[in-house]
Amino acid sequence: MDSAQADTPSLLARARRGDQAAFAALIRMHQASVFSIGYRMLNRRDAAEDLAQDVFLQLYRKLDDIESVEHMGFWLRRVASNLAIDWLRRAAWTRGAPLEEGVEIAAPQPDEDPLMDRELLRLLGELAPAARAVMVLRYQEDRDVAEIAATLDMPVNTVKSHIKRSLTAMRGKMIGAQLVTAEELP
Amino acid sequence: MNEEFENRLRRAMRPVNPPEGFAERVLRGLPERAAPANVVPLRIARPAPVSAWRRFSAPAALAASLLIAVFAGQHVATRQAEREEQAGLAASRELMQALRVTSQKLDLAFEAVQHPAPQPAAEEENRS
Repeated sequence: MDSAQADTPSLLARARRGDQAAFAALIRMHQASVFSIGYRMLNRRDAAEDLAQDVFLQLYRKLDDIESVEHMGFWLRRVASNLAIDWLRRAAWTRGAPLEEGVEIAAPQPDEDPLMDRELLRLLGELAPAARAVMVLRYQEDRDVAEIAATLDMPVNTVKSHIKRSLTAMRGKMIGAQLVTAEELP
Repeated sequence: MNEEFENRLRRAMRPVNPPEGFAERVLRGLPERAAPANVVPLRIARPAPVSAWRRFSAPAALAASLLIAVFAGQHVATRQAEREEQAGLAASRELMQALRVTSQKLDLAFEAVQHPAPQPAAEEENRS
């Protein structure tokens, strides 16, 4: 835990009193998570930024209801995921939209395969909104099944089912595209 | 093998940062947050001093009214009972009078039956 995270309770208290610098610090601590949920869900950076701004605006209004640092993280993931699912269900423009160019153009690590990453994200974008949210919370946010169920108001077995079916579908398509071999199937 | 695929997925889905200046843009869009209100205790209004007469006049007037109402009620009830008694006595006197008259009439009728008047034929014989 770095010093900013250690100070989060006091940041929270200051932000509640209207201290904008404290609220900005809270935003910076959580912006990557919230923005990435929007980005992986909507496949568009501009839409992801709009969604993240909306989420932090809601957080600002609900600061008095936030009980702790952990609650804030859970609350942000919950609002971001559900808002993204709503946007996807309401707007057909995101369905099948290609990933934008120029994102994350960092030098690849030795074990990275940018082509495969790109294909995995494209396949993620083909999943239904609820299944996509489950996968984002599981593999991007590294949340366990019970927390995902609580975040998305979904039974635990439904979460498990989404994960299993999504992994099977994605692996099947990767094999079809000859990006993975059949040995990688479970 | 399954785990390896999941790890690939995790690597592909690493969180990414929003564009530069994101936090500042959020702050610019924030509404004014109402500062916590300073709560100033209200001064409790002290009632103006009231004289003993004004303080007790209303209950005293109420009690007097109640007493007057009770006594007046009793007086009216007594007068009503007296009137009813007088009316009863008068009715009783009238009844006694009526009984006396009836008795006298009956006596006369009885006398008439016991001692009838002389026959008209005898009177005619005497005339001729």
